[in-house]
Amino acid sequence: MDVLDLARTQFAVTGSLHFLFVVLTLGLAPLVAIMQTIGTFRDRPTMMRMARFWGQVYVINYALGIVTGLVMEFQFGLNWSGLSHYAGDVFGAPLAIETLGAFFLESTFLGLWIFGWHRLPPKLHLACIWIVTLTAYASAFWIMAANAFLQNPAGAVDRGGHLELVDSTALFTNPLLTMALPHVVGAALITGGTVVMGASAYRLFRRTSEQQFFTTSLRLGVVVAAIGVVVTVAFGFAQFGPVGEYQPGKFDDNPLAGAGLGFMILIGELIQFVVLFFLLPVIYWLPRWRWAHPIVMLMIPLPFIAAILGWLAREAGRQPWMVHGKLTVADAMSPGLTPGMVTTSLIAFTAVLGLLAVTDYALIARTVRRGPAAVSLGAAPGSGPDAAPDRAAALSL
Amino acid sequence: MDILWFGVFAVLLLGYFALEGFDIGLGMLLPVLGRSQEGRDRVVAAMAPYILANEVWLVAVAGVLFGVYPRAEGEVLFGLYPLVVSLLVSWIVRDAGLWFRRRADGRAWRAGWDGAICLGSYGLAFSWGAALVALANGMSITPLGLAGGAAIAAAFAFHGWTFASWRLPGGVTGARRSGRALLVSACVAAAPAAALLAGAAPWLLGHTAPADTLNVLSLMILPFTPIMLGGQVWVWRTFGPGRAPERTPSFF
Repeated sequence: MDVLDLARTQFAVTGSLHFLFVVLTLGLAPLVAIMQTIGTFRDRPTMMRMARFWGQVYVINYALGIVTGLVMEFQFGLNWSGLSHYAGDVFGAPLAIETLGAFFLESTFLGLWIFGWHRLPPKLHLACIWIVTLTAYASAFWIMAANAFLQNPAGAVDRGGHLELVDSTALFTNPLLTMALPHVVGAALITGGTVVMGASAYRLFRRTSEQQFFTTSLRLGVVVAAIGVVVTVAFGFAQFGPVGEYQPGKFDDNPLAGAGLGFMILIGELIQFVVLFFLLPVIYWLPRWRWAHPIVMLMIPLPFIAAILGWLAREAGRQPWMVHGKLTVADAMSPGLTPGMVTTSLIAFTAVLGLLAVTDYALIARTVRRGPAAVSLGAAPGSGPDAAPDRAAALSL
Repeated sequence: MDILWFGVFAVLLLGYFALEGFDIGLGMLLPVLGRSQEGRDRVVAAMAPYILANEVWLVAVAGVLFGVYPRAEGEVLFGLYPLVVSLLVSWIVRDAGLWFRRRADGRAWRAGWDGAICLGSYGLAFSWGAALVALANGMSITPLGLAGGAAIAAAFAFHGWTFASWRLPGGVTGARRSGRALLVSACVAAAPAAALLAGAAPWLLGHTAPADTLNVLSLMILPFTPIMLGGQVWVWRTFGPGRAPERTPSFF
């Protein structure tokens, strides 16, 4: 591989890893917020326990979303400084707005939410998770705006060898943003819904305790996944119009993009078929149909695979352009970048993030396996599950 | 407008050193201040509620660098390539330690991730020290960076020690420090970056994005500053010393 391939591989690997965690974060955040809202206003203790249990799954997943996101943010300057040099006056704006106007708030209020259980007044604590959810979706908007600019550089003109922003409205109403964002949001809801229903099906299948807890969770997961499927499929097809207009031949000229699109649609239709025509109509009986639970569990990987294939189609189909029709990927690479530099950082990032990703998924599985009673997020004062092993260890000394 | 955005950039960068400095410092001091597992748990719990609100200042610094100084961004990050990579890897390892240390049982598990926090914190401090020295030398990475790393590590450790003495008076450090002492140690932690920024101001201002870009950024970001600052103040008001006793195990 030459240096360009290495740099592209680094972006593809870290970007895919990042999105695997982001897509679940976006899907789970509104679910947790809704659970906590019902738990707060209706005095339903089960809903509050659901908010804590699925909240812990959400938070463990969030950790990898952050650390992979750090690499994404700095990678532009490391390997692709040609992009900020040529198009930074335009492309940098949505990224700067995302970090300050969205992620800064998201991170601050997530800290308040995680550590604020039993400390903040319940309604203010509830407000924290809603701010986290809203800013997470605002982040998705700005990041998709930046990506849409690469697909179709709207609102910018080339002046003296670099792009200048002339029409910010055009930049933020780019058809490749407005049609793609709901598609991504729908995919996130499918992912959140599928993980909740799959994990609930596992608990019900194993006939563990908390039947009511996981019956409600399973139904909620199916409903959210069903809403997500409708939105995703509708805005998937809606994108063919603008893509055909602004990037003609995107999926025909590039075999990788075409294959990504084809397999994504295949998986998407499988999810649509199972969720809309099987799980949703039988939602009342589903929690008791033990034979059907393995099917629900097997669905968990599908939205993640489809999401990666979707990005493969969108990004590979942009080649050879970094900014469509304006700047090639080869020209966007940092001048003077050597294969040694990229190889070292590629190995470092892939090894560290890959190991952490596997660990993270194992910890999420462990949270599900141990069930709601063992959740430490928002544990009542004096009842932490961590206290018990500590005491046991102390006694053994 | 370009002066305003330089001010935003300066506040974010110095804020990062003043705030995240004590997290990094305490991470380095973890084996010293917490000789037992229980002691390390107390040190981590003391800083845990602040970390998400602190580390995000650097994410914001990078965002402003990209949006306001796009042509400086590539030059600086690419010029410091190995240091940026080691900074990121250290940051990731430190954060993983914090998020994972309490997610499974067993002393070896927690002690292992405590090691990751300590190692990552040293990596962060030395990467920063070397980066500041390299920036001051016109982006040439020299062995002198090691001395810079040691200086930054010492400043962060002092800041972390002061924070622990303020948050847990008479606790892990055995000392008590006032809010004013914490302010002083924050200034010590941020001073090297402030000196560099003062020197680099003309160069940075010369790389400012055009007015049209700045107008969009101002319109989209400045309305959120009260909530951003409000959230930060709320963190300090909620988790300050003596607010509520530590009755539950910290999530980190």
